[in-house]
Amino acid sequence: MNRPPRIVITGHGLVCGAGLTVDAVWDAITNGRSAVAPIQEWDSERWPIRIAAEVSGVSNQTLVEDRKLHKFLSRTDLFGIYAAGQAIKHSGLIAHRDTLDPQATVQFNDRSGIMVGSGGGAYRSNYDFFPLMTTAGGDWQKFGTELGSSVNPMWLLKNLPNNVLCHVGIRHSFKGTNACITNHCVGGALAVAEAAAALRTGEADRVVAAGHDAAVEPETILNYHQLGLLTGDALRPFDRHRTGTILGEGAAAVVLETLPAAQARQAAVLGEVLGSGCATEASGVIEVRPDGDGVARAIELALADASVAPHDVGMMVAHGNGTRASDASEAMAIRRVFGSDPPPITAFKWVFGHTLAASGLIDLVLALTALRHGVVPGIATLTAVDPELGPFPVSPIPQKPRSDVAVVLCRGFGGMNVALVVRAAT
Amino acid sequence: MTSRRRIAITGIGLVTPVGNDAPTVWKNLLAGRSGLGAIRGFDASGFPTRIGAEVKDFDFEAAIPDRKLAKFASRAHRFAVAAAAEALADAGIRPEESTAHRWGFSAGAGMMGVPFQELEKVHAACAPDGEFNPEGLVNGRYATDPVAFCRSQSNAGLAVLTRHFGIRGYATLVHTACASGGQALGTALKVLRRGNADFMLAGGFDSMLNPIGLSSFCLLGALSTDNDAPERASRPFDATRNGFVLGEGAGFLVLEDWVSARARGARIYAELAGDGNSLSCYRITDSPPDGDGPIQAMQQSLADAGLRPEDIDYVNAHGTSTLMNDRSECAGLRAVMGSHIDNVSVSSTKSCMGHLIAAAGAVEAAVCALAIRESIAPVNANYAEPDPDCAVNIVRGQSRPQRIRAALSNSLGFGGSNSSLAFRHPYDVEASLRDESSRAAA
Repeated sequence: MNRPPRIVITGHGLVCGAGLTVDAVWDAITNGRSAVAPIQEWDSERWPIRIAAEVSGVSNQTLVEDRKLHKFLSRTDLFGIYAAGQAIKHSGLIAHRDTLDPQATVQFNDRSGIMVGSGGGAYRSNYDFFPLMTTAGGDWQKFGTELGSSVNPMWLLKNLPNNVLCHVGIRHSFKGTNACITNHCVGGALAVAEAAAALRTGEADRVVAAGHDAAVEPETILNYHQLGLLTGDALRPFDRHRTGTILGEGAAAVVLETLPAAQARQAAVLGEVLGSGCATEASGVIEVRPDGDGVARAIELALADASVAPHDVGMMVAHGNGTRASDASEAMAIRRVFGSDPPPITAFKWVFGHTLAASGLIDLVLALTALRHGVVPGIATLTAVDPELGPFPVSPIPQKPRSDVAVVLCRGFGGMNVALVVRAAT
Repeated sequence: MTSRRRIAITGIGLVTPVGNDAPTVWKNLLAGRSGLGAIRGFDASGFPTRIGAEVKDFDFEAAIPDRKLAKFASRAHRFAVAAAAEALADAGIRPEESTAHRWGFSAGAGMMGVPFQELEKVHAACAPDGEFNPEGLVNGRYATDPVAFCRSQSNAGLAVLTRHFGIRGYATLVHTACASGGQALGTALKVLRRGNADFMLAGGFDSMLNPIGLSSFCLLGALSTDNDAPERASRPFDATRNGFVLGEGAGFLVLEDWVSARARGARIYAELAGDGNSLSCYRITDSPPDGDGPIQAMQQSLADAGLRPEDIDYVNAHGTSTLMNDRSECAGLRAVMGSHIDNVSVSSTKSCMGHLIAAAGAVEAAVCALAIRESIAPVNANYAEPDPDCAVNIVRGQSRPQRIRAALSNSLGFGGSNSSLAFRHPYDVEASLRDESSRAAA
């Protein structure tokens, strides 16, 4: 059997509270500038939690130019389509396709896949039914007869969890293998894992992987707060004074290709996906195991898949969501995998909040950016490392990566853990 | 290619509108019995469509004996737990402490997270006049319910099932509308082939039979309005078809390595032999009239399984009973099967079960496995008047006893995702294995 091809990344796109481009977000990170701010979306003055990292001051048309589409898209879709479009543009794939003859173009499209990690589960979409519910006043006869005149006939289409997949496909004519992963926070990271797997087995020659979410809405904030997951302070990963996470919104996307496909069109390479690992802790919706068993197994699986030894890992982008239980169990897992000598560790959620289904993909894009710059960014909100975590190499100031390999860690509800191993382009 | 793992289907569990276990479902499908009727779960009397395919006489309490965990399970999650438990019992194997890491989970999950009762609470607190005012959530009129919130999360079903069955390996959920179940099984196949797991619990679960779900499809005009004749309302490929009938349920399969399944003496229904997966890139709800998209999915599935069109004896069609889907699918089938098309038995079991949306592909994969094992193609019920645009060999009148060497199951979703899965008879797989080993010996 032939060795599977190497998988490279040739384009990236990113939107979050800290900016509309990878460069803008990187600038915010390296300058210690957090996008966490008072919530703008609604008047949150009387709310127990009044902060989030929103994408504010950006028109829908900036995100998706075709205004005719806006009535078919929810807020999270706009982010996902934007990031995927940026990544595809950045990769130069479309310019390349334009040079192909018609037959080769058909083959190109059939061999181009899309994998999306979708947030979905939005609450506000259901509010479109409120006027009807008021009109009906509990009268089901009336509910049914007034339905057509009260709710937009295209309501379902606006709320399909697979909208980004569908619209990116239509926009770019990518018709190959595809998935829309609705696995809470690990959706984006799993999209990358599945994209790389599809390329390794020859299902496709290129895949755009995207993750998107828009969780900053009243019910979500309130419920996350009730579960004790949110802080009104700052997001301080691994800090002794950490008090919770902060919700953000946004999307990221990367274009993955087999190395031969990228070389054939002389594409610039940003980095390489070396491996992935996925494990659940079977712990239910929100509980995590204190020993970090699933986290450790995900990292171990990813390192084995990548044929990378723990001491060859140059840096780690932790999930670091700033909650007491998640960060503590993550530190346990990192100690289990790396022993007394873990690589420099950072985490990015203090900059743009926890973007849920988008988070793993955003972290992947930024991990590669960090490796290319040869710097492990500092965590500006860190005051003092939690001594209970043991020796743990996070820092408020920048560190040096030990090599050009990074591990990106992503966790989600359902006891989900996904780790990605990537290498920067040299 | 010879070193690639073959994947066996060794367990099946079903909860559908025509029965709450696989043997009952199978018996009713073969007899062409309809599970469609007037909607009873809520008052649908004012809706343009008042019929559906509900799961009936389901014991919600018995589905999850662990009361604490049961609180976190929605209606569809409970269908899923029951179907998965049946599949594992049927396979005669389940995750143990020593094997939990090698068990994976992949399922197609529905899009409806928030039950209508929860929405009513928010409406009462925040929008008595119809306009949403978030103030109502924090001014004391509204009480949050953390358990209801957890239940509504996108991967709550995964959380409940992996915990209930103790699965600790690769786990994922997918949603590509009506293609979800098929794509989830395709993912499971790939996860097993690449060695990320040794066993997969794979399937789909959904219930959109609630006021919002029914509304959403009524608004699109996608549902049959044959309210006076529900048993005949779903008639895929019939010239008079006028929309699909919304159903609910769950289907799960146990998938494992062929060689080790045989070694442990497992009963193998069929091989899950191939996965094809494409995007139509046409319109959100419309299917391309020429079958573009489904064609690539079927071709990939055949190629992935190492099959030729003439190896296929049965196709479980997506066959929703909408004008457009059935036409597009038949165009695709004709293009893929070529001159072999008249030899392929085609049926849509949605004629009896209705459309189970995210669960459909998984349930119908189970139907293909049963059809192969029992050597009978289930009937396409309610097919009376042929449509020249759907000129394929429909299994009409009654189920058709025949040897099925290989079968395809199509699932085509809103948003243009297409899934086609290929299945092979164990006898033919064993013959291939013997050929391979004698070639290797020579």
